[in-house]
Amino acid sequence: MDFVDPHIHMVSRTTDDYETLAKMGCVALSEPAFWAGFDRGSVESFRDYFRQLTEYEPRRAAQYGIQHFTWLCINAKEAENVSLSREVIAMIPEFLDKPNVLGIGEIGLNKNTRNEATIFLEHVDLAVRHGQQILIHTPHLEDKYQGTRMILDMLLGDSRVDPNRVLVDHVEEHTIGLVLEKGFWAGMTLYPVTKCTPQRAADMIEKYGSERLMHNWPAIRPSKPTGPCRT
Amino acid sequence: MSLNAEQVLQSEYLQARAKILELAAILDRIDRAEGAVDAQPQMQLLRKGIDVLNGTEPDKAARVQLLFSRGYDPDWRKTMSV
Repeated sequence: MDFVDPHIHMVSRTTDDYETLAKMGCVALSEPAFWAGFDRGSVESFRDYFRQLTEYEPRRAAQYGIQHFTWLCINAKEAENVSLSREVIAMIPEFLDKPNVLGIGEIGLNKNTRNEATIFLEHVDLAVRHGQQILIHTPHLEDKYQGTRMILDMLLGDSRVDPNRVLVDHVEEHTIGLVLEKGFWAGMTLYPVTKCTPQRAADMIEKYGSERLMHNWPAIRPSKPTGPCRT
Repeated sequence: MSLNAEQVLQSEYLQARAKILELAAILDRIDRAEGAVDAQPQMQLLRKGIDVLNGTEPDKAARVQLLFSRGYDPDWRKTMSV
């Protein structure tokens, strides 16, 4: 069966993983910009990262017949550095016309702070001004419910945002209904300990239906790169 | 076609049994370890979570999730000046 992974961080995976994904039926994937595991030091570091996402990774994926798409942003984990975040947001339009760019993402909240919310709103404004789709990261564990509510407040507070062009990712049982009932797309992430198991994802599909609902495996935790196709 | 309740029970019984045993073993491990944690917020949350499982109300997964979640303040934008 052919499948598309809508959220996977391939820069952290080996070329062998592309081969495995291709053998399992992956025909396309989308890779949101993410935190590097450490805070990047300058806007130039992000420029290099965006070149990797828009130039190098598509070539690496194409060697295995996989189409590579991407989303650009500075991650919420780095939003406490507001001045750097604003430099990155100002630089992103340089890359928006690249053929594999789908939009702005994964923006969102991490610890639900004021600075994170400020930078989230500035990313949303960037997306709307440039007619871009939006991919959203919702926080982990005890921060998810509060952060998801805050994110929805900000999106619904901007009348320019079209919910049909926004995917709110990492939903779980207590947030999926909130996202879908407001008309957004929702994504379920298969990390059994910190997010969702395949069985619970199937439960949510059974309860809410499959309309505007995706599932993914972002591939930054220790596990196989084939989570979605094994579900 | 969806399974009926009896079929779901038969299908999931051993999985559920194993998970209850894992939880029981974790609680035993805490009991055997030196010190007392009954007053710790995490321990109290675990006990409340077990209470949710033992109840008869539906949507247990969502209710357990909310139990382990920070509260939401609808006026957060005003409070944070965002």
